[in-house]
Amino acid sequence: MIPVVALTALLVVQDTSRIADAQSVLAPLIESYGVSGSEAPVRETVKRLLPAWAETETDTAGNLWVRVGQGDPVVVFVAHLDEIGFQVDSILDDGTLRLRSRGGFFPSLFEAKAALVHTGRADVPGIFLPRDTGFTRRAPPPLRVSVGTTTRAATAALGIAAGSSITMPKQYVRLAGTRATGRSFDDRVGSASLLLALRHLDRAKLKHQVIFIWSTREEIGLEGAAAAARQLGTTPRRVHAIDTFVSADAPLELPNFAVAPIGRGAVARALDNSSITPPAYVDTLTQLARARGIALQIGTTNGGNDGSVFTPYGVVDLPLGWPLRYSHSPAELIDLKDVVSLADLVRAIAEDW
Amino acid sequence: MNTVLVLLALSAQNVDALAERLAGMTAVTGYEQAMTDSLLAVLPGSVRDRAGNVTLSLGRGAPKRLVSCPLDEVGYVVGNVTDDGYLLLRRVGGGQRLAYPIFDQQLEGHRVTLFGRRGAVPGVVGVRSTHLARGRPAATDPPFTVDNAWVDVGATSRTEIEALGLGVLTPVALTKHPLRYGSGLLAAPGAGRRTACAALAAAALAKPRVRGTVVVAFTVQSLYAVNAGLNSVKNLQGPFDEAREVTLTAKFPDTAVETVARADAAALVADLVWWMGGAR
Repeated sequence: MIPVVALTALLVVQDTSRIADAQSVLAPLIESYGVSGSEAPVRETVKRLLPAWAETETDTAGNLWVRVGQGDPVVVFVAHLDEIGFQVDSILDDGTLRLRSRGGFFPSLFEAKAALVHTGRADVPGIFLPRDTGFTRRAPPPLRVSVGTTTRAATAALGIAAGSSITMPKQYVRLAGTRATGRSFDDRVGSASLLLALRHLDRAKLKHQVIFIWSTREEIGLEGAAAAARQLGTTPRRVHAIDTFVSADAPLELPNFAVAPIGRGAVARALDNSSITPPAYVDTLTQLARARGIALQIGTTNGGNDGSVFTPYGVVDLPLGWPLRYSHSPAELIDLKDVVSLADLVRAIAEDW
Repeated sequence: MNTVLVLLALSAQNVDALAERLAGMTAVTGYEQAMTDSLLAVLPGSVRDRAGNVTLSLGRGAPKRLVSCPLDEVGYVVGNVTDDGYLLLRRVGGGQRLAYPIFDQQLEGHRVTLFGRRGAVPGVVGVRSTHLARGRPAATDPPFTVDNAWVDVGATSRTEIEALGLGVLTPVALTKHPLRYGSGLLAAPGAGRRTACAALAAAALAKPRVRGTVVVAFTVQSLYAVNAGLNSVKNLQGPFDEAREVTLTAKFPDTAVETVARADAAALVADLVWWMGGAR
């Protein structure tokens, strides 16, 4: 029997260099943990993966900035560092943890699964306790985590306190063809595509300043991006949020909108719940993608994007994404071809638009 | 420390490592061969009978006693493959036997492993995207059942599925990563059964003094129809003067975080060693 690892290795051998390149950046980002407000490990991974020439700044909101080129009009790309998860609300007398959700998701997907409590000292393993009443699909009683202790003091002695973040262990795993699964592709794919674009960017071609931002606390209300938008004010001309295009390309979804098939390229997220891109900008993007031979789909989906908080300053938001199946679940699924396409599109916009 | 205590201490170490190893394996009822292959390798002198059970005979003469442990688990097999490369499932075992009423729901939105003819293949079970469910009533959705399970391995056609060695009857289970937490706790799907089997194997490996003959059996198909595995052992190797089925109490039974305590497993090994020696 060929073990899973060996099959995955076989798949990697068959990859093109572009796919392998995308995977080498994406996998370590997926395996970094960063619930909203606790993004430091992901930020450090991004820094480690930046090209050597890149100079970084971290602002007071925790956003990571890289500025390239000079002059107007300033263009901003923003992808978020954080992922959905939980925070410890309090430690109960029996040593278990009461939780607070960070971001929107089905809590039932965490129930009766392994948990990781992230403390200042180390990650403490535990379990999300299964329910013993209320056997519905989506609305379990409030989730709690056990780390195997039986008293509040024993739990606190592990370094766990109110505010500690909690996730589930995760892994980047290759699937058939150029597909892959893991948790928090939203928005590590966006973060990876900015890194890939910077690695391949021809800085001599830039006609104006381009700012790359990896933002914090997107999942709990676009908070990091809002701080960046306030700082930049009316200076930028355009902003491109680089975030998930939640796709209905899956058998359980309704096909009335959001049907961007995975594997067919990046997606212009022209209309979502937070912003509408002026059609002329979508047309320009389409022409640019065609001129550079980059696969691009145009679509509408649900969700908000970091670029939307720039629009009150007169900044046009043209969010870009890649199609994602099973969003905000431990089984998120992508096609690496779309990551390559998205990185190429970011690079093309930076260099040519 | 006398010899018996040394052996028991070693057995406790064995049971700990073996429990984690067995808990990480998959043995869907009726499809237990990989697990039984491992037990044959672990237990010198053991054999596989024609029903698929692994048995080991210790001692000789009367009385003839049986100590057994069921090693199978409720799981799934592929029931159908769609033209666009998804796999649909049927459950094997379960129903009234399950302590957790939303057993199938544990699949939703999680990784699974498919044990195909060319090796293990990773996949996921689809779930509706949270964002696309917005504004649509979800709180009243009935629990997820196996009928809702669409397995996605990244394939786009039936041909790709076949090339991966997958098809109807391929066994499927949640991907397992046994978890150690707290002070000596082990969590995994079926941790109770697997730790009980590990305790039995550790007791046999401790080379206990045996009164009469003890047949140690790791049985298959305990969770389907007529418990064909155990009954086969009784009919093929019996009659037995006494029979004992090894069990271990677990917390959160039939969940993916079924939990056992290392101390309970070590105590079970000791008890089994005494029982093999004739203690009641």
